[in-house]
Amino acid sequence: MKRFLTTAALATLMSTNAMAENIGVSMALFDDNFLTVLRNGIDEMANEMDGVDVQIEDAQNDVAKQLDQINNFVASGVDAIIVNPVDTSATAAMTAAAEAAGVPLVYVNRQPINLDNLPDNQAFVGSNEIESGTLEAFQICQNLRAAGKTDGARAYLMMGQLSNQAAIQRSKDVHDVIGMDMCKFITLIDEQTANWSRNEAQDLMTNWLSTGEPFDAVFANNDEMAIGAIQAMKASGIDMADVEVGGVDATQDALASMQAGDLDVTVFQNAAGQGSGALNAALSLAKGEDVARSIFIPFELVTPATIGGYLAKN
Amino acid sequence: MSDHSHGIGGLTFDRSKRAWPNEINVLGALVLIIVIFEALGAYLMGQSFLFDSNERFDSIFNEARLRIIILQVSIIGIIAIGVTQVIITGGIDLSSGSVVGATAMIAMSFAQVAEVNGYPNPKAIFGPGLMDLPVLVPIVVGLICGVIAGAINGMLIAYTRIPPFIATLGMMVTARGVAKWWSKGNPVSFPTDSYAGIGSGMMPVVWFVALAVLFHLILKYTVYGKHTYAIGSNEDGARMAGINVARHKVLVYVIAAMLASFAAIILSSKNLTAQAGMGLVYELDAIAMAVIGGVSLSGGRGSILGTVLGALIFGVIISGFTFLRLDAYYQEMVKGVIIVAAVVLDQWRQRRAASKS
Repeated sequence: MKRFLTTAALATLMSTNAMAENIGVSMALFDDNFLTVLRNGIDEMANEMDGVDVQIEDAQNDVAKQLDQINNFVASGVDAIIVNPVDTSATAAMTAAAEAAGVPLVYVNRQPINLDNLPDNQAFVGSNEIESGTLEAFQICQNLRAAGKTDGARAYLMMGQLSNQAAIQRSKDVHDVIGMDMCKFITLIDEQTANWSRNEAQDLMTNWLSTGEPFDAVFANNDEMAIGAIQAMKASGIDMADVEVGGVDATQDALASMQAGDLDVTVFQNAAGQGSGALNAALSLAKGEDVARSIFIPFELVTPATIGGYLAKN
Repeated sequence: MSDHSHGIGGLTFDRSKRAWPNEINVLGALVLIIVIFEALGAYLMGQSFLFDSNERFDSIFNEARLRIIILQVSIIGIIAIGVTQVIITGGIDLSSGSVVGATAMIAMSFAQVAEVNGYPNPKAIFGPGLMDLPVLVPIVVGLICGVIAGAINGMLIAYTRIPPFIATLGMMVTARGVAKWWSKGNPVSFPTDSYAGIGSGMMPVVWFVALAVLFHLILKYTVYGKHTYAIGSNEDGARMAGINVARHKVLVYVIAAMLASFAAIILSSKNLTAQAGMGLVYELDAIAMAVIGGVSLSGGRGSILGTVLGALIFGVIISGFTFLRLDAYYQEMVKGVIIVAAVVLDQWRQRRAASKS
């Protein structure tokens, strides 16, 4: 009898499991354009599927808060957890918390520092950050060559938040590209952070303009800063046809700026694709299936020639 | 310790009455910082910080740099005008940055265009019926946001008697929540041309200067101003003198939040976008500007002129660092040191003045 009850209980448990998969999601922050598209990607996919419930929490850019959320998810018995890490170097504790409870965990968008040591029921879904900055910088280099500036071009580099892996990597990509023989004619005048922000980028660009240094290009780690730089340059009466400006993200605002002839290069990171990819991986892991440790969603270059395919994407 | 040799009261000479007005000290600090940047510029860059060495502007000044120095602090400066009044009453307002975020999102939603480059607005919040509205609509909506936030702050402080720190901390968290909830974190972009005009070019500076002059005069020459200082100097005394302290406090917090809301309108107009993260920690920069400008956190002392000078010190520092191409890491460290140093110097000066009276 006892055995029968246990079996029945197990069966009920399993059948409820089969009916509704509960996925806990901890986002680094809600008020970020790109992460919002990613979050909506998870949400929309879950809504389209039967029997998938997602509970999305905002870690408000706080590492400690995020770890608490993961422990809360574990305590409430979710089937899998998706984490968009606040800080990629703080993921070891999250991995340990989920592993101890046997709950599958998927990191999304930001590559965890312990990627190589993830247990079997954990994975990373994102894009290879090396691609984005390289695609951007190389396209600007080609544009400058096409404009006949190979005897020397000068550029500014606008960096994202200095504690952020993507900002560090994309800035390094720019340095790597202008270190190549083909792009050696580009020299950087200065590199400063504008913290991903359009407003700070406007002020930084205006400060640079006040030095009166001639320049040919602005590399920005993201589109918001590229747009801020463009707004500042236009306010000072600079013809945007004379300056190459590049960003990353292909946001709606950036695409509109490109259509207006201001922004020259951006890179599409498939936020919704990363979101739905992470949910797929989490559902597979919850069912006990094998999933590759790293699942990469490729970056795509967007220029005025290829913009048509991206207008409705982000 | 204290020097009472000049006697007390009567017609005896009181050196403390001959002390320079506080603003002169702040102005001195501003000039000193500029001189330091000029010296470092000449030594490290072979260039002048504020004076033009390349004859680009038909004047002896580097006008582009002078403009950005004030432009980059104008929006937070407008918030600081309100924060100054709150601090003079002995209070504090931690909610202004979040009120900026919430107001920017809500006001911008009423300022959107229906079509961008011939396509429907990809960031549309409302249907076509609420697009391409006259510019007055988003401005009024934005200011109403300020009135609501300020009235809640003020009434909590005046009538439930909870400390201003707690009341406005609550508003700081709540208003940021509103900002994120409004469009589920999505940015609101593509405003009408008339809305874009509010904060374009040097307009933020025009608003900042106009509002600073207005409130400087109001604080100096009106009953509102006298009551503000009276409450900050001695709240019980002000009450016994017949001032309706509670009502006046509500008014001060409403004005402060309306200034934050107006700053949000200018900020979103300048950037042509509103985002839920806008205005993050602006309240701390605004408080720092006031404090550097000689506004006492214990209330009763300070002026808008001082705060404007404090804001200019901020602007000079930001532009000076970029001019010297100093790494961002060091910029934040030095900024923090300057904030604390300003208050330490001010406290020291006050104690010295007090011991002389």
